[in-house]
Amino acid sequence: MYYFSQALIAIFLFSAQTTWLKLFSFGGVTPDLILIWVVYCGVRCSRTGGIGAGIFLGLIQDGLSGGVLGMNTLSKGLSAYFFSKLKGKFYVEGVIPIGIFLILASVFDGLVFYFSMGTILKGEVASSFLYQLLPVYSIYNALLGPFLFLVLDKIYRWLELKTSNSYLGMTR
Amino acid sequence: MPRTGNKSKRDIILVSVILLFSLALMTLNVKQEKGVRFLDSIVGEILSPFQNYFSQNLQSVSDSLNHYFFLIDVARQNDELQLEVQRLKSEKNQLIERLATQKRLSKLMTYEENWEEKAVVASVIGRDATQWSKVVVINKGMKNGIKEHLAVVTDAGVIGQVIYAGLHTSKVLLIVDGRSAVDALFQDSRISGVVVGMGEDECRLKFVPNTADVKVGDPVLSSGLGGIFPKGLIIGKVTQVLRKKQGLFQEITLIPSSDLLRLEEVLVLLP
Repeated sequence: MYYFSQALIAIFLFSAQTTWLKLFSFGGVTPDLILIWVVYCGVRCSRTGGIGAGIFLGLIQDGLSGGVLGMNTLSKGLSAYFFSKLKGKFYVEGVIPIGIFLILASVFDGLVFYFSMGTILKGEVASSFLYQLLPVYSIYNALLGPFLFLVLDKIYRWLELKTSNSYLGMTR
Repeated sequence: MPRTGNKSKRDIILVSVILLFSLALMTLNVKQEKGVRFLDSIVGEILSPFQNYFSQNLQSVSDSLNHYFFLIDVARQNDELQLEVQRLKSEKNQLIERLATQKRLSKLMTYEENWEEKAVVASVIGRDATQWSKVVVINKGMKNGIKEHLAVVTDAGVIGQVIYAGLHTSKVLLIVDGRSAVDALFQDSRISGVVVGMGEDECRLKFVPNTADVKVGDPVLSSGLGGIFPKGLIIGKVTQVLRKKQGLFQEITLIPSSDLLRLEEVLVLLP
């Protein structure tokens, strides 16, 4: 049940990311639902679970993007690691802490792309990337993040309830 | 104290594993392009039915939503009428959508008829899963004769090239992506340059000499060099020209002739 629901969430988020989300693009920038989910896993799940989720989701995102395989695995894996480490040191409840975490994660994600593009992919990056695209992307993620955190919290709480009910049912 | 030591050791191991795993993937990807594409094909095949479903309903859903919000104030006193109007509107939207699709397809078909070589009509079913790459996913793959490095166009002009062909889906690198480069020439002056993407909505036309007479609005075509894009396909129009006093080349900005944000049906030109 747990893994099945995880797969359903993943299918929904990845499908939305690659289709619907363009409707909400702001100046050509769309939020990264997967990055928000990775930060969520880093903050809410156990350390190993969070990092595992980060690497796995990054790997799938690599498969669905046209970039170099490994780029998202690196950025998402390390994001999950850092936030699973930071969660014990900072209070991560409410809009502002979540927003700050997401801004940091977005900036890190963007910088990984920026340096990969310059070194491995040998492609061109617009000069406005660092001062225009990246800040808008970070703010967009930070604004959407708390809402997605809330939705995911509700889903996981519902799942917990469902699985504990089925467990009780089994023991009875 | 030993606990802290163990913790930091575990941290070092974790970070090293993430780094090594990612770098190994990147190296494999760069060294042997086809060997690691299994991930693309597995993930693509699993997700493409969902992408297909979502993208098919995308337009009609957004139209219906717009109409719903528009009507909500007007029909407050008459719920039944509102529902009826909504239903009719929704039907109308669907019909308009069908008509628009037919129009687009007939335009593409006319283009295809005029095109001397074979071509495959495909629908765009998804976009890149990240913010950074400018890639779209189309619903045709190797089963339809699509291979890597084939040109993809619309009736308005060049949009990009196939960078990965799966069994039923393919990935198209758009000309605005930072890794895209298309050899081009000006329609009137026949001066050549290279159209490169910048990861934004516009492209840059590079290597055009400072002495060349370039004006805003000049059309730019594919030159046929490079072997991917046939000669004479329209790429875009010049939107900005900057001539530096020092330097050999002009800085030319180009807007693609196709609306790359609203791609729905495209044509893959077969060799």
